[in-house]
Amino acid sequence: MIKGHQINYQSQNVSILKSIDINVGYGEFLAIVGPNGAGKSSLLNVLANEIKTDKKQEILFKDKIIYDWKLEELSKHKAKFSQHNSQDIPLLVKDVVMMGRYPYFGSQPTLEDIKSTEIAMVETEIIHFRDRDYNSLSGGEKQRVHLARVLAQLDNEIAHRLLFLDEPLNNLDIKHQYNTLELIKKFTQNNNTAIVVLHDLNLAASFADKILLMEKGEVLAYGFPEEVFTEEKISRAYNFPCTICKHPVNDSTMILFG
Amino acid sequence: MVLALNIGVYDFGGSSSYEVLWKFLTGDSSLSLSEKYVIWEVRTSRIIMAVLIGSMLAVSGTTLQGMFKNPLATGESIGLTSGATLLAAIAIVLGHTFEQYLPEIIRNSLVGVSAFVGAFLAMVIVYRISTSAGKTNVVMMLLSGVAITSIGFSITGFLIYISKDEQLRDLTFWNLGSLAGATWTRNIILSIVLLFSYIIILPKGKALNAMLLGEKDAQHLGINVETLKKQIVLITSLMIGTCVAFSGTIGFVGLIVPYILRLLFRSDYHFILPLSAICGSILLLLADTISRTIVAPSELPIGILTSLIGGPIFIAILIKYKNTLR
Repeated sequence: MIKGHQINYQSQNVSILKSIDINVGYGEFLAIVGPNGAGKSSLLNVLANEIKTDKKQEILFKDKIIYDWKLEELSKHKAKFSQHNSQDIPLLVKDVVMMGRYPYFGSQPTLEDIKSTEIAMVETEIIHFRDRDYNSLSGGEKQRVHLARVLAQLDNEIAHRLLFLDEPLNNLDIKHQYNTLELIKKFTQNNNTAIVVLHDLNLAASFADKILLMEKGEVLAYGFPEEVFTEEKISRAYNFPCTICKHPVNDSTMILFG
Repeated sequence: MVLALNIGVYDFGGSSSYEVLWKFLTGDSSLSLSEKYVIWEVRTSRIIMAVLIGSMLAVSGTTLQGMFKNPLATGESIGLTSGATLLAAIAIVLGHTFEQYLPEIIRNSLVGVSAFVGAFLAMVIVYRISTSAGKTNVVMMLLSGVAITSIGFSITGFLIYISKDEQLRDLTFWNLGSLAGATWTRNIILSIVLLFSYIIILPKGKALNAMLLGEKDAQHLGINVETLKKQIVLITSLMIGTCVAFSGTIGFVGLIVPYILRLLFRSDYHFILPLSAICGSILLLLADTISRTIVAPSELPIGILTSLIGGPIFIAILIKYKNTLR
């Protein structure tokens, strides 16, 4: 799906990403985890074609250099949910969600576009305030509006779509955290790919197929959750003691700190 | 438009202006030369000019607000108008000293081209100062506008000080703004500029909406933000430059019109962009009609009138956005 080879990225002479190799396959749910300042968001931004790195030929999206894709074409194959969404958008909720359909229509949205946005709004449970002002929503509700927007953006017939999400669970209550992760999981089950920056290791362990653990701009560990989430690796990355055990109900890996 | 045609100082001796215009258009020979002149060269051409300039000023304001993602951005507040006025003033005062070295075509459009260059330079400076990494700092945007305006003001003031009588009249006209300079040649140029600009800018409603998400997210929606910004910088400079060249500084049209439209349609540029083209025309025509009747037989410079409406609206927007200005 997407491959990166020897990704290096510097910002103001500070090396943020150091020779990172990454290869994410079709249908994979990859969670990027790591302490603050590990370079998680930067890696996501580089992969999503948002910031340019020093060398040109590093990132291959569907076996084609990502810079060679046309922006309009690319927007139907991949979407990104950003960490810092604009707090001030003087439009209705449904208008913001409709932006996700901009790549598909010229001047007026078609019935199909309207249907797409409605499905997305139902899935993210914001349909009941579709006619409200975006600016009147709370932080968590705004997050869900943008989630609906990126879901509507990738509602198409293209095989193998890619969704980037940068800390999508910020500000969300526990129910919507699970709801969001389940939506992402459902998306990846149709052979689509999701690359998600997460802070909650337990949620990452129970939902993601693969984990990428980062520290100081480098990949510390990559693999299945049970391979990456070991006491030694996590303690080292976060510099904080932890214990690993099995979840008593669903048997997934559980990390207890302290 | 119909009403505006009828209002004016000249008395057509009993018959209404519409009859006179009709007679003119059908080539009726009973019209006197002065009647012909007033109805066609003065009144009709002035109305058309108000429509064209009002429309372009409003659209340029709306477009700038879309690019800077802020309803306070207009040609005046960020110094574009001053930049245009400054270079136009330089062209008027100093123009004839190096006139003989310039090719004919540039010599004729010297003031217009200078106004465009002035607006363009001001735009580039303001954008460079106020925007970094795709985010606009509103305070920086307005302050750099203030800086450019004050530079423009002082140099224009100096030029007024050193200029000769004939140039002085021209310069005063720039600073106050007036549609009295309307001619058909100018209207044709304005129409061409308007047509060219609107073909590029008016379909950008969706893109400007997406810019509300931030430039990076707009890019993820398939919008080439860099190209869009370059187009906006060029086209708004062109529109504002041309308007300033022909009518001087008519302030705040680009602020008032989008402000009113936003009350009705929020910030949906898909609606407010084309509508500001229409409402700008209406506003300026209305303002011009008032300005030439309120103190008849003389006339009030139109810039005074638009600024009178625009100032309070500017303050209203400021108060509303107090919380986001940090």
